[in-house]
Amino acid sequence: MARVELRMPELGNEITEAMIDAFLKGAGDKVLEGEEIVTITTPKVTMDLEAPATGTVLEVLVEEDDIIAVGTVLAVIET
Amino acid sequence: MMVIRAFESGVASLKSKGSYGDLTYAYKGPAHLSIGQEAAAVGAAMALTPDDHIFGSHRSHGEFLAKGLAAIQRLGDNALTSIMEAHGDGALLRTVETHLPDETEHGLAESFLLLGLLAEMFMREIGFNGGMGGSMHAFFTPFGAYPNNAIVGASAGIATGAALWMKSDCRESIAVSMVGDGATGCGPVWEALNFAGMAQFERLWDNAGFLPVLFFFTNNFYAMGGQTSGETMSWDRLARVGAGLRDDAYHAETVDGTNPLAVADAVQRKRQVLLDGKGPAILDVECYRFSGHSTTDVNAYRTKDEIAAWGAVDPILTYRDSLVAEGILDTAAADAIQSEVEARMNAVFMAAADPEIAPPPRLGNDGAGIGRKMFAGSETPSDGHAPEPMSDPANVARIRQNARKSRGGRDANGELLSPLKAITLRDGLFEAILHAALTDPRVVIYGEECREWGGAFGVYRGLADLFPHDRVFNAPISEAAIVATAIGAAMEGGRPVVELMYADFIGRAGDELFNQLAKWQAMSNGLLSVPVVVRCSVGSKYGAQHSQDWSGLAAHVPGLKIIYPATPRDAKGLMASALASDDPVIVFESQRLYDRVELFQDEVPEGNYKIPFGAPDIKRAGNDVTVLTIGPTLYPALEAADSLAGHDVSLEIIDARSLVPFDYGPILDSVAKTGRLLLVSEACERGSFAMTLATNVTRFAFDALEAPPRVLGCPNWIVPGAGLEQGYFPQPFDIEDAILTDLMGVTGHDRKGSRRWDDLALARSGL
Repeated sequence: MARVELRMPELGNEITEAMIDAFLKGAGDKVLEGEEIVTITTPKVTMDLEAPATGTVLEVLVEEDDIIAVGTVLAVIET
Repeated sequence: MMVIRAFESGVASLKSKGSYGDLTYAYKGPAHLSIGQEAAAVGAAMALTPDDHIFGSHRSHGEFLAKGLAAIQRLGDNALTSIMEAHGDGALLRTVETHLPDETEHGLAESFLLLGLLAEMFMREIGFNGGMGGSMHAFFTPFGAYPNNAIVGASAGIATGAALWMKSDCRESIAVSMVGDGATGCGPVWEALNFAGMAQFERLWDNAGFLPVLFFFTNNFYAMGGQTSGETMSWDRLARVGAGLRDDAYHAETVDGTNPLAVADAVQRKRQVLLDGKGPAILDVECYRFSGHSTTDVNAYRTKDEIAAWGAVDPILTYRDSLVAEGILDTAAADAIQSEVEARMNAVFMAAADPEIAPPPRLGNDGAGIGRKMFAGSETPSDGHAPEPMSDPANVARIRQNARKSRGGRDANGELLSPLKAITLRDGLFEAILHAALTDPRVVIYGEECREWGGAFGVYRGLADLFPHDRVFNAPISEAAIVATAIGAAMEGGRPVVELMYADFIGRAGDELFNQLAKWQAMSNGLLSVPVVVRCSVGSKYGAQHSQDWSGLAAHVPGLKIIYPATPRDAKGLMASALASDDPVIVFESQRLYDRVELFQDEVPEGNYKIPFGAPDIKRAGNDVTVLTIGPTLYPALEAADSLAGHDVSLEIIDARSLVPFDYGPILDSVAKTGRLLLVSEACERGSFAMTLATNVTRFAFDALEAPPRVLGCPNWIVPGAGLEQGYFPQPFDIEDAILTDLMGVTGHDRKGSRRWDDLALARSGL
């Protein structure tokens, strides 16, 4: 059992923050590594972030419409 | 063929001897003749309808006359009458009726065609293009003869764009690029060849099928004096260029261009292939020009034996002989046709040269008449309905997100909002373009990565969810073809919005932007408009080839409207004006401004609205110094104003917004108040648009000026990359330095910037 964090990734020099559009998985949901968990929007693109590991979503730390900086922990997965 | 031969022989005679038939006349224009190539032109025209459009070269008198005569033959009397009466308020028709009378409508139309062309070559008002085009450019769209082009190969891309619009408009017609063998050495021709057969036309478009464009190469074996096959080209047979294209090699074939029936047969077959969506097609039409490239050509590059050998297969003689041999024509009838043609030609030449019958254009004593032809200056709303979008716009993520954003740039406490929470300049552009795409079926949007990616900088994000490929599509990395096809599509009734990604790539579409897009409104005497919007971003951080502000370069070329918005509200309103305009508009967009929210007005209106071209906007009122900014320099100027306010210096900041057109009124009014002017731009200072503005303000506000206007641009260097830009692009402290030292003469000012250069010394060393 390990805890793996999903963080807002670096998306190039220009992008410092993004907005949470929607969570596709919530706390308690089982996810596979590579499965899409959350949709975010930067000024240039809308994109889905994938689960970094297979396991169960332990907690979701942000809400829809939140503006998050690069590096922010969005969710924790227990493997 | 005899008409073409007689016409061009007449022109040749005028150039070489100063006389032809009964006429003595010094013809001063160019004469790129196609004597010997008549069968190629006539054969092609025989197989085309008036709705098929040809786009020729500098050597296209023959193609023009053949297309015109073929159209006249196919059109009924009523159609011909209405075409001739509609052109130029009937002035050319009345001249023909008076001076070249004929009992039949078709006879009148033939003289109309000949006189319209020759008068155009002689730069007369009744010429088809009002004397604005001349020998290498004459055209007349009602007969399906579209612009002839003096730039070798330029017609390939424009014809491809015409075919793009014919396909989008579901027309039963084709476009024909009629260029020479020498054009296969031109990059833009290769770009057009690729563009016309893009796989997406078959795989991704609802209306499947390749572009209906025929690449008709009139192959006379010479590109001016260089021999194509065997010397300047890598191909041994022109038709082989098709081998690099689709599996069907674009149905390329070589045709005997000395036989009009062989050419007509080939064009007829290719035309059907194109209408079936199975094109594009290439024809390599081998023929020979007996005349030189131009009248100064002494034929140093070919032997008399060679010319004589081709003379033995002169298309006019061989065709005449075959008709006589088959008993279709006897020699007396053939001679009678020759005499009739020559008599008509003599009369046409006499009429065209007579200034009483065909006066030069009325341009006014000052010549300002040409100026009035440069722009349409109009807006032509769509009379059609755009098809329903593929999904409900309200469900598109981008549009949903924008709906949640603040329309203004500050929150209730006056704090600046994140670009994720407020409408940005990027959103402003998107909203104007979305409105046009939803309401105007003529709008087609393309460029590199415009579709799923949403444009390299996200302006189009969301459009791919709404519009099929015929409205929004990805173009190849072919800037020349992107702009050339937009021009062709616009000539046919489309409203293309194309993206060049970076302004630096303007060079890749140099001819298309500067010789084609800018000029056809005037060169056609208003017969055509070219409503194209070209979007170019101006970059930064990526160094010398991805960061140049070339707005001044574009503004230097007559015939283009240039805008450079700096706020979301201005971007949306100016883009709406660009989309509505019947004139070509180049839109410069600074990448550093895409995320800017609205700071100057309460909000960016949700509905569609237009901000007129040419209206500089006072962004901050002040009394001591006028600062005129172009594009993104608005923001460092605001910082400088905040800083200088602490020193009791008040700046009036005016954002140019447009470069062409430009109303000097607000600047002169401001300078009348302040007496001092700083112009700030990110273009290199030498030859920049800011220099033009400074010169004119000096002239028109000289008495009000306390100091000479100062231009603060970029040094005449390459743009450095990330980290070094502070020493290149004007910074707030540079603006403060220039104001305090150069404009206000403050002694003892401690300069914060590095610009202490001796500009005159730099100029001596080329900097």
